[in-house]
Amino acid sequence: MVRSAGNPARLALVASAVAGRPVQVAAAGTGALAWTDGATVFVDTSLSTGDQICALAVQAALLGAGSLEPEVLRPLGRRPSLARRYLAVEGQRVLARRRDLLPPAVWLLLDGTAAGRSSSPAESLAVALSRAAVGEPPELFGVIGPRRVVVAPGPPGDAGASRHVPWRSRGTQPARLEEEEGADVVARDLFSSPVGGGGGLGRVLKKMFGDGRSSASGPPGADSPTRLSRRAAGVARSVTVSSAVAAVPGDTTGWKPVGLQYPEWDANRGCYRPDWCTVIETDPPPAGVPLALPDTHRLRQALARLGTELERRHRQLQGDDVDVDAAVEARVQALAESTPDEAVYIESVRQRRQLSVLVLLDVSGSAGLPSASGAPVHEHQRAAAAALAVTLAGSGDRVALYSFRSQGRSAVHVLPVKRFADDMDALVLARLGGLVPGAYTRLGAAVRHSAAVIERDGGTARRLLVVLSDGLAYDHGYESAYGEADARRALAEARRQGIGCMCVSVGAGTDAETLRRVFGTSAYASIPDGEHLPAVVGPLVRSALRSAELRRRAWQRRARTAERHFIERRTA
Amino acid sequence: MSTGTRPYYVPVGKEELVFNAAYRQGLSILLKGPTGCGKTRFVEAMAFDLDRPLVTVACHDDLTTADLVGRFLLHGGDTSWVDGPLTRAVREGSICYLDEIVEARQDTTVVLHPLADHRRQMPIDRLGVTLEAAPGFGLVVSYNPGYQSVLKDLKDSTRQRMVAIELDFPPADVEEKVVAHEAGVDAGTAAQLVRLGQAIRQLETAGLREVASTRVLIAAARLVTEGLNLHDAARAAVAGPLTDDPLITAGLHEMIDAYLVEPGGPPPVR
Repeated sequence: MVRSAGNPARLALVASAVAGRPVQVAAAGTGALAWTDGATVFVDTSLSTGDQICALAVQAALLGAGSLEPEVLRPLGRRPSLARRYLAVEGQRVLARRRDLLPPAVWLLLDGTAAGRSSSPAESLAVALSRAAVGEPPELFGVIGPRRVVVAPGPPGDAGASRHVPWRSRGTQPARLEEEEGADVVARDLFSSPVGGGGGLGRVLKKMFGDGRSSASGPPGADSPTRLSRRAAGVARSVTVSSAVAAVPGDTTGWKPVGLQYPEWDANRGCYRPDWCTVIETDPPPAGVPLALPDTHRLRQALARLGTELERRHRQLQGDDVDVDAAVEARVQALAESTPDEAVYIESVRQRRQLSVLVLLDVSGSAGLPSASGAPVHEHQRAAAAALAVTLAGSGDRVALYSFRSQGRSAVHVLPVKRFADDMDALVLARLGGLVPGAYTRLGAAVRHSAAVIERDGGTARRLLVVLSDGLAYDHGYESAYGEADARRALAEARRQGIGCMCVSVGAGTDAETLRRVFGTSAYASIPDGEHLPAVVGPLVRSALRSAELRRRAWQRRARTAERHFIERRTA
Repeated sequence: MSTGTRPYYVPVGKEELVFNAAYRQGLSILLKGPTGCGKTRFVEAMAFDLDRPLVTVACHDDLTTADLVGRFLLHGGDTSWVDGPLTRAVREGSICYLDEIVEARQDTTVVLHPLADHRRQMPIDRLGVTLEAAPGFGLVVSYNPGYQSVLKDLKDSTRQRMVAIELDFPPADVEEKVVAHEAGVDAGTAAQLVRLGQAIRQLETAGLREVASTRVLIAAARLVTEGLNLHDAARAAVAGPLTDDPLITAGLHEMIDAYLVEPGGPPPVR
């Protein structure tokens, strides 16, 4: 995606360096002047690289210096010629201010005398409003489009700050400054990025992943490759079949869905409905604007020490202390004229924890609802998922990150943001950034599939499933008590396989009683935002792993007893 | 010792004054600063000025108390005690420098406590003796507060036995001097590399765990001394070590192309 030489996203680091905060870069139409929406700078890719750098450096410097704050832009809204005068004065000011951090090519744009006219955005505005002679800004300065700057991009380091907010694609539009229709900037809006959420491709993707009935569901039984799940639980036999999916018109992502069937617990009848749900594991979701790398310092502190006890190992070739028993034996052996064993030390080593974690992220429509703090629940959950995945991967654990949503029992979509084998890199954060909430929550099937994935790909003794959800299990024929019972059942099944389950609801207003009914006896916590995650995550993980271990042993014991009884009966 | 020349270190604040004062008062010193900003070089220069031998221990997460203090080894039927580096420094009155102390296990750092406070003693329980620190002994530890692979902080009880000196990357003019001196490149080349480094340091929030240190800039400059062109040198010594991520690497290469001008230096200001 962003690897081709002509792709402007490669220049995002240059823009971020000039701005001093994360800034994205995207393509503007040919011939268009550079502009920014407050998070992304759009440049004309037909320019030479040097000119592209100059154009984006000016816009990035404006962003970094706070020149595009709403109170400054408000008077410019309806007056394009004033906006140009402001750009000429303020552009010179910010370039001079960041001079030592600019690429040398940009220095050619600097005009030493013009830069001295102002020392703040407000002063630049005053100069622009005055009758003083101000030359036209150079072409490479681009244009300020007040109408298109999203208000309050947020402070540096804020996860929201680095995100491009494609306003046309959002349900709740961010406040925007008004600008007269027909002003010169409007014409250039034709050239806005085709790949952003508001562009052509973005709308197609939105249609595919967003609210409303998904067309990417299909009946099982067609001729895609067949796989068998290896679930160990003694519940209904899980048969795997394939399913074909009708092609989506204009589909450019190349879906290759594989349908896997899972049972569902029918609380009304008190039994399983075999092969009831079809889980379709899609290709990884398309990349969006990457999330900022989360600050995981506190989370690391909370998670670092779990499962890494010191162990004293006897009879080692090296170590802190002499192992007296071994030393005496070695001495006896030497006196008896046989070759003594040289491993006579005690070494204390810290055990590596053998842990694989699958983070399951709920991207159903209910996650799009606003949280108490205003931002959608989805953004809180997504940030928490990123923080957990980055932290655990950084601690050397095996990590996978999946998201899910459903459209009835035949179409439970599981989107692999990061499989166990994938690297934890910027692409994963970009895929997370591209997730848009939509559709419903058939939690049970998603949990069963996740448990099967950990079982198949985890490859470690300790396994952990982290569910990030608002706890509203709801789908067609999956209402209130029925859905809650199935979700609870699915989590219990996973625990019986020895997979620790912990559930975290971030920012959602779901009441404690509902959470208890959905998550059952799994370790769960409800926190208002990601800031509280480090405080709860340590005890949650510890409790989840411990209870899974106990249940697995108990289950194994019961299975062995049953087997013994069976053999005894047969022999008797 | 003071044979040879003083290791090159340019003070940027009062760090030399604080170090000397703390050393003379027998206080232990905690150096804080990002990777590659000159912590080790600073200690080398100070040890030279104070004319004390320097014992350096690079801490790692398997470093045990025995690795610092010493252990018994078997020789035939007998055991013999072998001093660890810390014990040696205590006996000889050297400056003991524990690099990246937080990497060491917390149970290990506790052995420093009686040494770091007013007692200046080191009990060795395996020998049943307590060593008094010889005159001239100094304890210096360093750590990087922002270090992402740090899984634990320094214990408060350890921290409070220390005098802290905070170091950071030097200002641009000093850093240019350092790069030019260490690598033997001309001032123009050093200035370009330093500007690239300063720009990369703006990216801390944009996906980089660690930013370009003075050390990597010097490494790039040294490659230039060997005849590599600036871009290749910066790709090898700056972009490569900072990240493995293909997207970020591509972005860093664009930055290198944008910030480094071949050869002769930047264009004049119009």
